[in-house]
Amino acid sequence: MSTGLRRVILLCLGILGGVAAWPLTELIVGAQALFPSYLLFVAALGAAVGLLMGTFFGSAAGIFARVGSRILAGMIVGAIAGLIGGIIGLLIGQAALFLIGGLFLNAYRSFQTVGLPIARAIGWAFLGIFVGAAEGFRAASGKKIGIGLIGGLIGGLIGGAALEYSRLYLPASLPSRLIGLIVLGLAIALFYGIIERSMAFGTLRVLNGRLKGREFILNEGRVRIGRARRNQITLEPYENLADRQAQIRFRKGEAVLTNLEPRHPVLVNDRPVEEHRLKYEDVLKIGSAKLFYSYE
Amino acid sequence: MKPRINHKASLAALLASALLLIGLPNAFGYNVRLSQIDPSRLLLTQNIRLYVSVTDDRGVPVEGLGAESFTIFESPDGRNFQRIEGLSEFKPAAASAEGITFLLLIDNSGSMYDTLAGRATEDAGRMRITHAKNAVRTFLGSMTQPRDTVGLVSYNTSYTLLTRPSGDKSQVAGFLDGIERPDSEQAYTELYAALTLAVEDFRGFGGRKAIVILSDGENYPYLEHSGNLHPEFGEKIYRYTEPIRACQEAGISVYAVSFAPEKDPNLEAIAVETGGTVFDARDQEELARVYQRIHRQVAGEYLIGYRATMAPAEKKYVRVQVQENGQSRETTRFYFSSTVFGLPPEKLSAMLVIPLVLAFVLLWLISLLKFEKKRGPATLEVLKTRVGRAQTRVMPLSTAKTVIGGSRNADLTIVGNPSVKEQHATVIFDSKKKTYTVVGSGDLTVNNRPVKTKVLEPGDVIDVGGATIVFDDGEV
Repeated sequence: MSTGLRRVILLCLGILGGVAAWPLTELIVGAQALFPSYLLFVAALGAAVGLLMGTFFGSAAGIFARVGSRILAGMIVGAIAGLIGGIIGLLIGQAALFLIGGLFLNAYRSFQTVGLPIARAIGWAFLGIFVGAAEGFRAASGKKIGIGLIGGLIGGLIGGAALEYSRLYLPASLPSRLIGLIVLGLAIALFYGIIERSMAFGTLRVLNGRLKGREFILNEGRVRIGRARRNQITLEPYENLADRQAQIRFRKGEAVLTNLEPRHPVLVNDRPVEEHRLKYEDVLKIGSAKLFYSYE
Repeated sequence: MKPRINHKASLAALLASALLLIGLPNAFGYNVRLSQIDPSRLLLTQNIRLYVSVTDDRGVPVEGLGAESFTIFESPDGRNFQRIEGLSEFKPAAASAEGITFLLLIDNSGSMYDTLAGRATEDAGRMRITHAKNAVRTFLGSMTQPRDTVGLVSYNTSYTLLTRPSGDKSQVAGFLDGIERPDSEQAYTELYAALTLAVEDFRGFGGRKAIVILSDGENYPYLEHSGNLHPEFGEKIYRYTEPIRACQEAGISVYAVSFAPEKDPNLEAIAVETGGTVFDARDQEELARVYQRIHRQVAGEYLIGYRATMAPAEKKYVRVQVQENGQSRETTRFYFSSTVFGLPPEKLSAMLVIPLVLAFVLLWLISLLKFEKKRGPATLEVLKTRVGRAQTRVMPLSTAKTVIGGSRNADLTIVGNPSVKEQHATVIFDSKKKTYTVVGSGDLTVNNRPVKTKVLEPGDVIDVGGATIVFDDGEV
């Protein structure tokens, strides 16, 4: 799958995450008066949003790797990470909203058009930061946490402001919370899509065979390559390679490729290698698959 | 049966109502002010803390009230109030270490250039304004708490903020010299407007706030007395109830220093109803104690904690009702209570299930997508060009010979790169062996190795003058 398609799918998942989270938030917001305290109310809301967004973002890696079992596992882990992130994020966001809102309530005469949207955007930003970062925790990748953090921050800011302004300026029949949630999901996805590549250690592009055109983004410190589905780079449809054939480790700005199964050769630029420091535009041959290494 | 009239009881009722009438307009001997709402523990403990000041008509804190004298109400809309059962915290004389922000409003209207007795004079020393400036200096000199800040405003026809609240008292005193006698257009007294605008100027400041207004007490609006539209307020004439409401909403007390022979009833009402008091400018000793009086009031505040309601609202109104000796006084303020996701929907519909189900169905459909390539023709695909550009991105190898080069007649043309020869490389198809061979006439690398000729295997990367071209036989 090309980078473009990958981004489109990510955006779809972001939108779907927002759409899925919406009914539950409506339900919980509608039941505010039934909660015994703001703490439980906000925690329940954060849990709901985080859970559903996490579920959808968690499915991405499995969808890109096209491994059904990994989609489900990703969804479950994503849901748990999102749930925790959502609770923490929304509690901090609500604390910030109470604090800033209280200040702005007295400081701004145009509270509805300036003070409240700013305060709410900041509240949402915290939710976004933690929901976005949750996907990084799921993948156990520091870089991904960073990507999610930025995406969530921007998405939250825009989403929160969108919620407030759509309520002010759009017809009342439009569900403003849905708009806010979709914007949040979209922005997180957009940032994953855009920043993922530039923040990654590099990419491996498949040059032949059934996976031709697919780009694997290397954003984890150790990437394993092989036929088995547990590898980050699964080359299932190819021959002459082991279940776990090779790995790439990133250390101090260097990418080192190691052949883990000497019974099958790993070639770089047509020469067999045991261990090789990857250079820009190296051509790798692992089994019958050819891969093109580059970075931005 | 005729009802028997209890003469004793009706006499008592008559007496009571007579007593009430005598006491009006300040029927009850005390005032309640919510000087601070502290919602900082709302999220963690569901508790709201109130600092309530109860003062008598002289602005002296009323001490010794018990928790049973206070009743708290909360409302999401300011109309329907719900009584809070039980207080979580009650502390009389809850001394606060917080500083107080003061705003001094000095009257600079024409009448301030008369004597204290109200006669015209040319002797600057006898003018009210001189007394007022001295009173400000006295006040500034009495400010002992380093955390307190003070700002200065002068008003006549218009409202002028001379300096925003700051901790530098000598700098504030310096602004007094800038107050000059107004011309006739500026000589009116927009007293109520000035107080209302001062509350606006105070909005940005948190914590406790107090206004000290130095005035000869008369509100002498421009529009009413000149017959012309006010340059800033236009047709609007401020009423004395406006500053009272604004001050109560913001928890600000007004302390008035009067330079008129008789106290203006409205100025007194403003001071008393906001929990302040009126001082007589001629009593220098009392004047010097204004500052201590205000601090004593803060020290005498009651701290009341209660468990907040969960009714959804952007801001929630709190009403404190104090009942003492059969008298009842109350005050209302609000605090910010909006949640991150805003107000509840007007109605919930079962249709909400649809988007949830739809999202998961679409996710499932996406997960079914196969992004695999099917068998196709052999191709050359240009991944990128360092210099110039390729005219074709994907070139099917349908003929026995495919030429890559800079010439327009080449099959795969790379334009704008002088290091690419007219016919730089040729891919030749051997129909017997079913192999493709690249033959170079210029510099050529395959998989980053310089070659003259090479039998290609799928996924080989050909570099022609910086253009990266991938060969694929189309098999999967």
